[in-house]
Amino acid sequence: MTETIAVTGLDEVEEGKQYAVVVSHLTKEFRVRYRTSVKRRLISLFDGSEPTLKRFTALSDVSFCVPHGQTVAIIGRNGSGKSTLMGLLARVYRKTSGEIRLYGADGGAARIAPLLELGAGFHIDLTGEENIEFYGAILGMSAREMRQKFDRIVEFAELGDKVRTAVRNWNDGARLRLGFAIAIHTDPDILLIDEVLAVGDEAFQTKCYRKVEELQRQGKTILFVSHDLAKVERVAQRVIWLMDGQIHMDGEVKTVLEAYRLYSATQAGS
Amino acid sequence: MLEELRELWRYRYLLYMLVRRELKVRYKNSVLGFLWSGIPLLLQVFVYTFLFRNVVGVRAPNYSAYLLTGIIPWTFFSTAILDASQSLLINYPIIRKVYLPREVIPLASVLSNFVHFLLSWALYFIVFLGIAPLFGLGTPLLGSMVWFPFITVIELLLVIGCALVVASLNVFYEDVKFIVQTVFQLGFFLLPVLYPADQIYYTSHLIRAHPWLYRVYLLDPIAAIITAYRHMLLQPISPSAFNASLKGAKPLPFDWTLWFGACLLSFLIAWAGYAYFNRRKWLFVERP
Repeated sequence: MTETIAVTGLDEVEEGKQYAVVVSHLTKEFRVRYRTSVKRRLISLFDGSEPTLKRFTALSDVSFCVPHGQTVAIIGRNGSGKSTLMGLLARVYRKTSGEIRLYGADGGAARIAPLLELGAGFHIDLTGEENIEFYGAILGMSAREMRQKFDRIVEFAELGDKVRTAVRNWNDGARLRLGFAIAIHTDPDILLIDEVLAVGDEAFQTKCYRKVEELQRQGKTILFVSHDLAKVERVAQRVIWLMDGQIHMDGEVKTVLEAYRLYSATQAGS
Repeated sequence: MLEELRELWRYRYLLYMLVRRELKVRYKNSVLGFLWSGIPLLLQVFVYTFLFRNVVGVRAPNYSAYLLTGIIPWTFFSTAILDASQSLLINYPIIRKVYLPREVIPLASVLSNFVHFLLSWALYFIVFLGIAPLFGLGTPLLGSMVWFPFITVIELLLVIGCALVVASLNVFYEDVKFIVQTVFQLGFFLLPVLYPADQIYYTSHLIRAHPWLYRVYLLDPIAAIITAYRHMLLQPISPSAFNASLKGAKPLPFDWTLWFGACLLSFLIAWAGYAYFNRRKWLFVERP
């Protein structure tokens, strides 16, 4: 049972450090280009026809707090703003307005591990070993940390000797396993998981979930996006339902999922 | 700016890894590996020396040394900027998914080319100060060579500034890469890469009529850098050795005021380039 914290302003959570994530009045707008050619853009400047750039609001006025150690699932239909929210938390996008604060367990700056599209940074001409070093550096690991964790990463990814061959010849499963293994070993305070736990075969998935549960026990804060409601039910302690860039519902797993299932059924029926 | 530099410093290990990765990947599937950073350069110099000696009739002693002092800095300048212009698009999957100070990506392109640049200079010094003198050739050891590191730093700053601007523009308009390519192709011949700058001074009617144009020509940082390398590493070469019709013309003295002007300009370009990059870097992943 988790309490839901409604936040209207940062002043109300002055002692923000009791939370891992404080998001307040977060808004994100993207610009979308509708016409591409230079000629058309020039014409639209003069004849006042449809502008080539339009604003599109992906998230509007989103506020929530996540206490340390909580696992929150973010659900919603495609285009509801889930990935935008994850991108903002991972500092890939810059917010248009509002506030995002992330704290580590000690109240200092949080270390974030984004598990977004695992293995996106791999270079296929390099070996697994070389990619581990490189990907670890991208996720903010130092050289020393890398040396300490190297063997554990290889072991977790179940790669064996394969790690000394070029990633070019690996299957997708092996790449994803390695990506997950590296990210999970960065020892993050906050884990952002974007629909990637559907990694590898049944056995490896089970292993991933066990690892996630272990991280939960260690008191890590986890935010994850998923369409797999069964997994949400199993892992999450709280669910945030996004609709059209706004929080539609935020609360206990059972309550939100029930409402969401009902909504999905009516949407599919109409 | 300071805040951004501090963040960049925190990510120095990543920058190191990126540079290492670029160097590794470049020669990963080649047998000769690192030798490829020297072979094209040597062949280029052989061909140019042959052409200029036999077709153009250049009589300058150690002409290959004059060529190299132009070609090495020019190659670094042009390839580093062109590599950087592509870098953000090549690494798009990374910057779209993970936070990192975006500037590390074009900087890694510049620095991996910088490694090649330093290797080329090492080759140059070994050949002209080490091996050639054994056969009674080569170039003398000069006191002014202590300027070498300073000129190198200035060139690095210039390249970083240009690379950051070109890289960020190329994310939005891929025409930029082609424009830069074309400009570089022409610049190779218009700038004093293959010949000393004073050849332009003595042979161009336009510059003879308006001598201040020559100062503008030399204020162009890359022309100034090449001229500085030549002046500090080699003895002045008589203009008539290049062009027989210039009999009696004296090599122009090195213009220190212009050189420091060009240094200042390089600093400004580096600073402005970084400032511009910082203003644009959040838009890369939101390319409309």
